[in-house]
Amino acid sequence: MKIYSFLFILILTFNFSSFAETDEEIGLKIAKEAYESTRGYIDSTSEQLMILIDPKGNEVIREISGKNLENMDPDDGDKSLIFFNKPKDVEGTVMLSHTHVNDDDDQWLYLPALGRVKRISSSNKSGAFMGSEISFEDFSGLDYRKYDWKYLGEENYEGEVCYKLESYPKYENSGYTKRIGLTDELLRARKIEYYDRKGDLLKTIYFEDHKLYNDAIWFADTFRVVNHQNDNSTIYKWENRQLNIGLNKKDFEKSSLMRLAD
Amino acid sequence: MNIENIVEKFTSVIISHKIKTITLAIVLVLLATSGVRFLETPAGYRSFVENDQQNYQDILNIEEKYGTIDTLTFVIKPKSGEIFQKNVLKVIDELTELSWKAPYSSRVSSLTNYQYTTVDGDDINISDFISDIDSLTDNELLDLKNLALKEKNVVNFILSKSSKVSFVNITLDVPIGIDFIEPIAFAEEQKKLFNEKNPDIFVTVAGSARFSQNFQETAQSDATNMYPAFLVLIIILSYILLRSVSASLLSLIVIFLSILPSMGSAGWLEYQVLPPLIIAPIIILTIALAHAIHILSIALSNMNEGMQKDKAIIESMKINFMPVFLTSFTTAVGVAGVNFGNIPAFSQMANAVVFGAAYSFVLSVTVLPALFMMMPIKSDGKNNIILPALHALGNFIFKFKYYVITFISLITIYLISLIPTLYFDDDFDAYFDRVDDWVEVKNIVNDEFGSSFFIFANMDSGEVDGITDPNYLKKLDDFASWLESQDEVVTVATVADVIKTLNKNMNEGLEEFYSIPDNKSLNAQYFLMYEFSVPYGMDLKDQMTANKSESRLLIRLNNFTSIQSRDFHQRTKEWIKNNLGSYQSDGIVGIPVMFPYVYQENTNGLLRGLIFSFGIIIVVIGITLRSIRFGLISVVPNVVPFVLAYGVLSLFTKIVTFSHTVAILIAIGLVVDATIHFLTKFKKANVMNLSSYDAIQYCYKYVGYPIIVASVCLFCGFLFLLQSSFQTNYVLGGMCALIILLALIIDLLLLPSLLLIFGNKSK
Repeated sequence: MKIYSFLFILILTFNFSSFAETDEEIGLKIAKEAYESTRGYIDSTSEQLMILIDPKGNEVIREISGKNLENMDPDDGDKSLIFFNKPKDVEGTVMLSHTHVNDDDDQWLYLPALGRVKRISSSNKSGAFMGSEISFEDFSGLDYRKYDWKYLGEENYEGEVCYKLESYPKYENSGYTKRIGLTDELLRARKIEYYDRKGDLLKTIYFEDHKLYNDAIWFADTFRVVNHQNDNSTIYKWENRQLNIGLNKKDFEKSSLMRLAD
Repeated sequence: MNIENIVEKFTSVIISHKIKTITLAIVLVLLATSGVRFLETPAGYRSFVENDQQNYQDILNIEEKYGTIDTLTFVIKPKSGEIFQKNVLKVIDELTELSWKAPYSSRVSSLTNYQYTTVDGDDINISDFISDIDSLTDNELLDLKNLALKEKNVVNFILSKSSKVSFVNITLDVPIGIDFIEPIAFAEEQKKLFNEKNPDIFVTVAGSARFSQNFQETAQSDATNMYPAFLVLIIILSYILLRSVSASLLSLIVIFLSILPSMGSAGWLEYQVLPPLIIAPIIILTIALAHAIHILSIALSNMNEGMQKDKAIIESMKINFMPVFLTSFTTAVGVAGVNFGNIPAFSQMANAVVFGAAYSFVLSVTVLPALFMMMPIKSDGKNNIILPALHALGNFIFKFKYYVITFISLITIYLISLIPTLYFDDDFDAYFDRVDDWVEVKNIVNDEFGSSFFIFANMDSGEVDGITDPNYLKKLDDFASWLESQDEVVTVATVADVIKTLNKNMNEGLEEFYSIPDNKSLNAQYFLMYEFSVPYGMDLKDQMTANKSESRLLIRLNNFTSIQSRDFHQRTKEWIKNNLGSYQSDGIVGIPVMFPYVYQENTNGLLRGLIFSFGIIIVVIGITLRSIRFGLISVVPNVVPFVLAYGVLSLFTKIVTFSHTVAILIAIGLVVDATIHFLTKFKKANVMNLSSYDAIQYCYKYVGYPIIVASVCLFCGFLFLLQSSFQTNYVLGGMCALIILLALIIDLLLLPSLLLIFGNKSK
């Protein structure tokens, strides 16, 4: 299956030039293909470790675990649960997200110390996630539909030929003005540079430790984020990632959080 | 070994090798001057502090934890009415969006992007405080105003209490060593555009970056405004004193040859072009002018008396070589004392003057006589009109010496009695009170917000995640309340406020929950929730460290002076010691806290420098005069002008700034110099066995005129600095001019009277 999709892309790429499509169209096609190559996971669980490193090398550790549920409706986004484990004070905190393609995400939060579930709506989640250099926006940014695209050509990266894609956020509250990313021939993102609102390079996310899950889907198990403006960095690691394990869809509803509060 | 013989031989050699001398001098001057390209543009207020200064270290410490402290602020003030009008809010909204594009901006906070939480049961909505401005009704505008005035982190931070002025605050993350030119240029451009587009709304630029940029801008404007006019003044002055076009031209050439390598040497040492350095050329120029006029006026009058040109200049050099050397030397020693202070900008200025003193001496005894021989110089043959006046003054002093002494003593005693009312203080916020743009900003901001400056305090819990501990948060809140109860403080923001607001919002928005929960986990969970609900640049990273062990208090200050600031700093330390328990804090930190200490340490250093300079100068006087009696007599005319100057100062103000102290160091070498000339001549008259009357007349004849000439040059030069737009420059100039003037009066009236009474050892 992998080989087929690879060949398919090769043909597509070949076609890009032969049919003289615009760079925008080529960019969109690659982004779409790349996104679709990560689909079909059905559901997943993982443990995530975040290491925040300041310019002096001091480290702070955050640990969370996550569950994801793929949304088969192509016009809507996936659902996810995040369980906060470390630091200890936030242990037991759970966040449920229903992402949407064309609308603000729905988010519910269970705070164990408060014993209540709160629905949080905020139109803008470009802020730092748990004090790291990564934001919610960066996770949802993996959905190609939230951006306009432009193909910039090919570039060698770590000995491999990659597609260089520029993308511009469609939503006005983004913390970025553009991103420039490299996607390899297996359609895996290798690195993305983020440009801030004044057009300066803000940070780069390097996608590393790519693993082929269930013989079908590549996931990068390490995100290395380097902020070029304040010299902080974050290492975000996925561990024990499992796909298609038959999670209960009901776990991804508000009612399951409410049960925690009882 | 007679100095006069050496000088005669030396000058003969110079004028017989004039082409070689001039060529060599020009090559060396050009070499030194080429260093000008290494002069550095300054990094604002940071160039005014030494890196190891404690309060500056405190700032660096805070910046390492929470990012740079520099801000750039758009000040928005409708010409009539309040901020809550649609067109005004739209301007704020547009400026907010634009501010993200300001070079080096890392955060932007304004009324429109303020993250406001609304609560509906368990539904929490966090969004921009103001959006869809077009659709707002009058009632909604009024509601917004009332809501805004209830927000602790809005009032006095981005909205004035009166609702008449609002800020868009930009946090700048400019790497140390890079100036604020780019962000300021951006802001000034927007300011211009917005003022043109919205004639009924006043937009201007404030913030510490704008303040900092003033250093650079006043240095530039001082240079462009003062130098050309000063040049004209010097041309006029040298013509009046020499009454010869070619001699004036000659002195101008020597002056420029002295200034260029001085600034070049400053460049080789990688000095920064700050306002103090701008005055160095003017001081060097006056010294060089005085040298040239001393030498040329005697040479010209020798020619009037029928001497050959070469003989005239050699004779003049014989008389002037030592005085010119002594002036340069004592000036250099005096000014070098400024290095005992701790403001690099002033030490750099002083060192440039030291170079200038050295270059001007060397050039005056080499290039000046060489060029003199090459230029077609003629005197107009008129006799000096000042000499008969000085003769009359000599008669007057001889008759009324006791009256003169009594009169000057009484004035001195009166003025001394005023001096104790003076005290050391400084107001760094008054530095740029002559920069119109800045004054405009300052008036608006100080009236509405207290001051445009923030200060900070750090509070360390001592453990990872310690700031979520209720005890810590309560102590933090106590600290903030105590600070707010102090006169110097307008308002304080801490993460305790964030927690209180969150607690209220998470409990259906009930006011009774506006408090710090007694549950550490809950506080931690609140922070967690808050942090992933806010947009880019709105997180709490500038308020707490990543491991949540420390947090920062943001304090809006009222305007205050140095003494108040140091007192507040001490008071805070005291409170911390008595109340903070196991939590650590370095106390208040920031530009308004740092400067007063820099001044204090600087003033202490300068006083040490004064002792150093004065000590060396006394030794020089002793060696030159080889007489204890004259040494003692010389103390009077060397000290009295300074005492008088401070007495006069106390008639106008009670505040002595460090510029007044720097003035002593710059003037002392120049003042001492005149008395040395007078005393040397008087001693010579004693050796010649002249009567006291004749001895005094001899002094007036041979040194009276040069002293007047030099003093007039120096007086005009320093007076000229009054035009500077940088406070310390004009204070320095005014003070030096006053000292020079008083010294001239003392040298011409008091010193001869004293010499008539105590000076004649043969009787």
